[in-house]
Amino acid sequence: MARAFIEPIVGRYVHVDVLGDACRVYFEEAGRGIPLVCLHTAGADSRQFRHLMCDEAVTRHYRVMAFDLPWHGKSYPPVGWEKIEYRLTTQRYVETVRAFCHALDLDRPVVMGCSIGGRIVLQLAHAHGSEFRALIGLEAADYQQPWYDTSWLHRGDVHGGEVCAALVSGLVAPQSPPEHRHETLWQYMQGGPGVFKGDLHFYRVDADLRGKLDGIDTASCPLYLLTGEYDFSCTPEDTLRTAGAISGAKVTVMQELGHFPMSENPTQFRSYILPVLDEIRQAGA
Amino acid sequence: MATEISPSKQEQELCSRFRAAIPSRVNADSHLVWRGRTLRADCLVQIGATAFLLHFDAGSVRECRESLPLLCPWDFAVRGSLRAWESLWQDPPPPGWHDLFALSKRGEMSFEGNLQPFMAHLQYLKDVLALPRTPSM
Repeated sequence: MARAFIEPIVGRYVHVDVLGDACRVYFEEAGRGIPLVCLHTAGADSRQFRHLMCDEAVTRHYRVMAFDLPWHGKSYPPVGWEKIEYRLTTQRYVETVRAFCHALDLDRPVVMGCSIGGRIVLQLAHAHGSEFRALIGLEAADYQQPWYDTSWLHRGDVHGGEVCAALVSGLVAPQSPPEHRHETLWQYMQGGPGVFKGDLHFYRVDADLRGKLDGIDTASCPLYLLTGEYDFSCTPEDTLRTAGAISGAKVTVMQELGHFPMSENPTQFRSYILPVLDEIRQAGA
Repeated sequence: MATEISPSKQEQELCSRFRAAIPSRVNADSHLVWRGRTLRADCLVQIGATAFLLHFDAGSVRECRESLPLLCPWDFAVRGSLRAWESLWQDPPPPGWHDLFALSKRGEMSFEGNLQPFMAHLQYLKDVLALPRTPSM
């Protein structure tokens, strides 16, 4: 029988105002040191970072935090949600991240986001770089070509959770362990109706950042972009193109990983992210 | 007079792999059959120029027809190039060639017809169409 144990992760709620909406935001954290705020992918939640938060090589130097965006995980939608269609926008996403960092009084945190979180990292670098110690975009690009009609994600005659998971299942690398593959997909099966689709409004409609990323100062706020070779949504070519227009951006193409590196194959991912975190820490020493 | 063109060796080999896996390995997997229990549809699968018509009924493949007549009806179709299926069935498949939608994004696969049953049973169908990746025992 496996020995019982308690993980070091602690979960709490913080109340923040985002564009006039009172939001009760769930977050988890572990470790102490440099604040590292992690942003989950569209249609998922902060559980994607549970392995990072239990990695002592990370948590002995970093206070790792991950929050559930409103509408996701254990963060309810704002009051009145039943009367609107959820659509994430660039402005709402930026202000949510900044409100969270401000509420927790974080001193120039590192922000690491994946997919939509990677896209917003680029916007943070562009518009608010001075507020952050470093920025890390996983599966990040200024734009990527759509590959399906998002209306399939929210309709009466197709189970939303099952179709969301089935669509993104191909973004997991074939080498990822089944345990972690299916845990990653389970989150997509659990999302609220229309939430993944609403996140993709930001991704596909509202946040085409091509030609809009001028002025990023990677000398004062280093920017790291890491993309899995099996990600055909945000391809390595998308990330390389994006980085090519940002002086000083550092790019890594991760082997045997897909669109969810931190949750689909934590062991493989740590071999790529630990050197990045070490470099950020040593730059600030 | 039109001349019938024989399938290439590659196409013959891919079709042989398909026949070896489907329908027998679908119907032998009770959990896979259970997952597809609400699917009843005729699915055309095209490998290069060769078409198969799969009749799904409650998660089993009741029939797999070949040499289809003209105007043969079906509910939805999955059509892929030879290199699409060849790549998809490698173990492991190469990046960008490893999923039905990765292939459709690069123009090597298409989905046609009434896509509601296809999307409503997407993971089941992905798993069925991936069966030729691993050799039959």
